[in-house]
Amino acid sequence: MTAADAATLLILAILDGAFAGFRSSAGRTGLINHRRSDHQAARRGAVLAFAVLAPVIAATSADVLIHPVHLGDYTRAGTAMLAVYGPYALLVLIALACYAIAGWRLKYLAAALILGPFTLLRPGIAILGAALAMTLANNLVVAIMAGLSAVAVLAVEPLAGRLWYARNQPGPAG
Amino acid sequence: MGARLLEITDLLWPVDAGGAVVPVAKADVLSRLRASGQDRAARIVSAFPDADGFLDRSYIDALGLRVHRELQRLGEELQFGRRVGALLRPVTETMRGRGAGPLRVVDVGCGLGFVVRAMAASSALGADVELVGVDLNPVLIAEARRLAELEGLACRFIQGDAFRPGLAVQDGACSVVISSGLMHHLPESGLADFFAAQSRLGVAGFAHWDIAPCLWSTLGAWVFHHARMREPVSRHDGVLSARRAYTAAVLQAAARTGAPGYDVQVQEGSRWHPRALDVLRPLVGIRT
Repeated sequence: MTAADAATLLILAILDGAFAGFRSSAGRTGLINHRRSDHQAARRGAVLAFAVLAPVIAATSADVLIHPVHLGDYTRAGTAMLAVYGPYALLVLIALACYAIAGWRLKYLAAALILGPFTLLRPGIAILGAALAMTLANNLVVAIMAGLSAVAVLAVEPLAGRLWYARNQPGPAG
Repeated sequence: MGARLLEITDLLWPVDAGGAVVPVAKADVLSRLRASGQDRAARIVSAFPDADGFLDRSYIDALGLRVHRELQRLGEELQFGRRVGALLRPVTETMRGRGAGPLRVVDVGCGLGFVVRAMAASSALGADVELVGVDLNPVLIAEARRLAELEGLACRFIQGDAFRPGLAVQDGACSVVISSGLMHHLPESGLADFFAAQSRLGVAGFAHWDIAPCLWSTLGAWVFHHARMREPVSRHDGVLSARRAYTAAVLQAAARTGAPGYDVQVQEGSRWHPRALDVLRPLVGIRT
């Protein structure tokens, strides 16, 4: 895997973690102004994504150092993952930019047509990218790393929910 | 439209004439759901804790808050507060221009009062428009008050029947009644009465948002409730809301019967290729 591919995949995973963190906190308090808690949740998600991916990154790095010949397999796997995740991420980022700066009608359309449906597709996309990488890598260790990275990314949202939000919702008032 | 399926949340918080929540027998809820062929809904309810056969009130109240907070999140993402503000702004400006005042917007069945609190937070209609949320559910109203106080928002919330004279509407000519996602909770036979009650209060206008029923709105509700909602109850009821929603023709007929002194319109496109923006559309009535 080239350094650029690896860095791009890591950035995408951390960005995804930030959004996963945001989703795990959204709709928990009922407040109108929740910008601060959104930002905190995104930071938590990004850090959590890095933390759950760290063992995979460490194991991958160790494997390449011990078996330099595996680098070609990792490159094929990384390219396959980027081919799946790249277009998905690009569309989501465009929709998010729209959501951030446009008027309410475009915000609504960005959410209704892209952001909501793509959140639902996200686990499938993560699995598809990993499956393609596993198939093309033609190497069991590389396939395992690709699978573990997808599992780690998909674990961020439920983990963040359990760690920080599920038990901390205010109960009925009065 | 087929038989009216039941939303779980409609069965969990019955309120008596005095406004108190009545204990709910779990077996009654289960038998009603099973009788209407809703086995999945019955499975969801069967997991709720109970004491002596009655649903555990504190659990149900906490669940209700979680469901409504999730719903608010969906409303935020789909720009509901802004959407309502955008439609009401010219209405209140016209009323202001006629010298009517003080103006009041009353949100019926407001739940946690998201729309009211969002408009208060953004000063969407101006500081001279009083924003009032009304709901039968005392738990939701208590939470709406707590949240409004916490954020220092200029709005208030009342528990009770919004159409009881004097409760939320004192001067009909200066009041506009709104709701969001309420109409599909009413039986079709009760729709005309719903509009008649507003007509009797003499409100200047009303705007009631609900889902336009079609394949796309049902699909969209399924996608969004599975992508965004955590509670099985939210997912169940959210999709069912789209299926239970009334067509523009049914709503218009009911509004014209119940409130004949109003010019009533529903902006709704084709059921097969609706404009995405019209999937959530208002029925608007202006007193003639």
